[in-house]
Amino acid sequence: MSRISQDNAVAGSRLTRALIYTVLIFFVIYYLLPLYVMVANSFKPLDEIRGGDLMALPNVWTLEPWRDAWSNAQIGVEATGLKPYFMNSFMIVIPAVTLSTIVGALNGYVLTKWQFKGHGTVFAMLLLSCFIPFQIVLIPAAKVLGFLGISGTIQGLILIHFVYGIGFSTLFFRNYYAAFPTELIRAAQIDGASFMQIFMRILLPSSGPIIVVTVIWQFTNQWNDFLFGASFSGFDSTPMTVALNNLVNSSTGVKEYNVHFAGAIMAALPTLFVYIVSGRYFVRGLMAGAVKG
Amino acid sequence: MASLTIENLKKSYGSVEVLKGIDIEIEDGGFLVLVGPSGCGKSTLLNTIAGLEEITSGDIKIGPESVAGLHPSQRDIAMVFQSYALYPNMTVAQNISFGMEIRKIDKAVREEAINKVADTLQIRELLHRKPSQLSGGQRQRVAMGRALVRDPQVFLFDEPLSNLDAKLRVDMRTEIKRLHKRMGTTIVYVTHDQIEALTLATKIAVLKDGYLQQFGTPDDIYNNPTNMFVAEFMGSPSMNLLTAQVVDQDGLKVQLSDTESTPILLPVDDTPAMRSCVGKQVIFGIRPEALTDPEGADRTAQNVVEAECLIEVVEPAGSDTFAVTKLGGKEVIARLRADAQVVPETYTTLSFNMAKAVFFDPDSQLRIR
Amino acid sequence: MKFLIQRWIPRLVLAPSFLLVVLFVYGFILYTGYLSMTDSKMLPSYGWVGFENYSRLFGLRHWNTAVTNLAIFGILYIGISSALGLFLAILLDQKIRAEGFIRPIYLYPMALSFIVTGTAWKWFLDPGIGIENTMHAWGWASFHFDWIKNRDYAIYTVVMAAVWQSSGFVMAMFLAGLRGVDNEIIKAAQIDGASGVTIYRRIIIPMMRPVFLSAFVVLAHLAIKAYDLVIALTGGGPGRATELPATFMYSYTFTRNQMGVGASSAIIMLIMIFSIIVPYVYSELKSGDQQ
Repeated sequence: MSRISQDNAVAGSRLTRALIYTVLIFFVIYYLLPLYVMVANSFKPLDEIRGGDLMALPNVWTLEPWRDAWSNAQIGVEATGLKPYFMNSFMIVIPAVTLSTIVGALNGYVLTKWQFKGHGTVFAMLLLSCFIPFQIVLIPAAKVLGFLGISGTIQGLILIHFVYGIGFSTLFFRNYYAAFPTELIRAAQIDGASFMQIFMRILLPSSGPIIVVTVIWQFTNQWNDFLFGASFSGFDSTPMTVALNNLVNSSTGVKEYNVHFAGAIMAALPTLFVYIVSGRYFVRGLMAGAVKG
Repeated sequence: MASLTIENLKKSYGSVEVLKGIDIEIEDGGFLVLVGPSGCGKSTLLNTIAGLEEITSGDIKIGPESVAGLHPSQRDIAMVFQSYALYPNMTVAQNISFGMEIRKIDKAVREEAINKVADTLQIRELLHRKPSQLSGGQRQRVAMGRALVRDPQVFLFDEPLSNLDAKLRVDMRTEIKRLHKRMGTTIVYVTHDQIEALTLATKIAVLKDGYLQQFGTPDDIYNNPTNMFVAEFMGSPSMNLLTAQVVDQDGLKVQLSDTESTPILLPVDDTPAMRSCVGKQVIFGIRPEALTDPEGADRTAQNVVEAECLIEVVEPAGSDTFAVTKLGGKEVIARLRADAQVVPETYTTLSFNMAKAVFFDPDSQLRIR
Repeated sequence: MKFLIQRWIPRLVLAPSFLLVVLFVYGFILYTGYLSMTDSKMLPSYGWVGFENYSRLFGLRHWNTAVTNLAIFGILYIGISSALGLFLAILLDQKIRAEGFIRPIYLYPMALSFIVTGTAWKWFLDPGIGIENTMHAWGWASFHFDWIKNRDYAIYTVVMAAVWQSSGFVMAMFLAGLRGVDNEIIKAAQIDGASGVTIYRRIIIPMMRPVFLSAFVVLAHLAIKAYDLVIALTGGGPGRATELPATFMYSYTFTRNQMGVGASSAIIMLIMIFSIIVPYVYSELKSGDQQ
């Protein structure tokens, strides 16, 4: 909104501006190139890729690689395509995102508006849990999942994603609610509203943006997870990322690059879709995750 | 030091015109205050003088020479910003001397200049601190130091006191006035605070919607406003503006009437302009201090009239007592002595200093002289 | 009575999260720490061996490769991403008309999973079908680029893919920082006669210190955890040339059945991350409290 004079730019000269645009466009190409390569080659027959020129558009356009990747490709032992794994990912991510967002919202509410002795320590512990290398919990987590009888199941992965998502959700909501006027809570208390009524009637209606940010952040992180999927999924609970990696890195058979590319795009589509639809909130989540306090 | 001349200055952003032909001239050593409500164009005007924004047409001269088109650093000006705009990563001393450093002035010369300014503003002990370690008032001083050290032809101040608390603001105001007296440099000062304008300026320019409403001395602006906007904007509490009827009954008079009480008739100077309004409605403007209790009335005033008014609310304010009454159907504020005995809901005699009254045309909003 | 319940409800609401985190994070860390001092192989076992696993770990050539790789990868990844991010942010801050179009393109890789990024770059850099082959097809017969297959250079291809993925995000952080600079400071510098380049060099970039710090913390944290990218891009190879601590831990624990050593490597990773994160979070929380 602030108006800056033209002089703030490094230089007003046309040559400089042309140079700036050239560099910017060069990087547009740099960032788009891998995506372009994936898309273009996912529509090519295999011979055409082997024949060279990964950059060229297909001579013969074909949907075959997409069909293969979706429903025929050999992943692990069975030729099921990526379809069941795509579904698995949704079945894991949707409940885990929902749970961790709800719990994060309640935690943020308590930690800002109902502070008690020791709330700072609790928050610090939740916050620090966002940054642990997950390798450190793999062995005991496998044991606990086994103890609960849900190892190798969708439920097991939901639990894991939910638990390790609490930290970031709480962080987001806490920082958002910290800026929410406490007078409103006091006023509602004087009006006789209870703990839950205040949350439902006063905080929640104005939490739209932060809910979107949290859901996007959790969805992206959990959809893109590989480590937990690779460690804790069983035969019929393998998520998309793990299946894609199995497809690409399986040592048997011919390397079907076009199918790999089609599969990679499939794995990327849900998060790309979210990014394109609500990029602003995506960036806000990244920033909030980076800048604490 | 130099005079500053602004000639038919226009500035637009695309199709939006923010300054619509401004003409101002301030003499060498003058203190020009640009005042107006937010969005009136006063800050844009200051920025064009500084060279921070280009002008669309017209001219700006510092001394005899046009500076339009020159880079800010070549205009021989210095500026103090509302947010102080201190470089956060530099110490106070570095902040003050950054401009000299850019111009590659010798370190010894720089040191001397820093010390001189530090003594003037009494900020010697702050020189090695970072801006984040300073209080608001100290930052204000450093910002002024950075401007002073340039020893410019013209000082520009962009609402420099608006971020200070009330007490500090009054102190700094006095200090700026003292500094101006001592150095005699031409100053252009933007504010939305009309008290600051009246106390500091040698000349005030009142702006609204990109037009210059009035340009004159503080006395002129306060006592002889050219239109209703200037009359209402300057002064606090602001001037009472009431609808009145001009009548000719034993001399020229204005008649204030509301539904309940008997009309009040106030004699006015018999000028051709007023005479031509007989039988018409005019806007009668009277400042609160010209409407007072008979004991507090100005004894040297020529044309004082008394009338009975029904007091609605009384607001003691320490040094004065404000009384709210109703005249011509509108709320009116009268400024009485501190210990004037007035009781709400009763009739009290108020005296109108008609020599101070002003009249406006209700349609054009311009002064009737 | 009602009052008492109201008093305890907040704590009751927070309690489950607190207990879960205490168990799943801090309890698990303690358990892994304990395992790292036992003779666990394929399954956890509780024979106490003290720091033996750690001394074995630091004697392992693979671990040393992994740590060296992490150092190379971390320095280049953080350095290049920050420099490129700042550079692009400054260019985009020059009133670029197409900013709304360019910015999302720079940032979209951050929405992809490392597995997707790894797959794309794996084939793009593959000498058989990727860029080398393409250059040959375009008639540049002598073009040679097989870093991904080369033991000495493969780690740099991991850097390339990681920079591609994260630099747009760093750009966005810096852009937000640049947009937050008080306009009046720039005006003041102009009046002081500073040129555009000087304004950036002397005033604006030094003001970006907090952004540099945030970017460093985020990137360092990503670098230490980087597992998926290596798996998808090189699988740790060729040989073990692109092994990182994260992949080392996984393979020692789950495929080589050296759980004790794996657990000790996980503890080392935790120490690395916390030595960066804890001071940062602490100072952020402290400055947050002061405001």
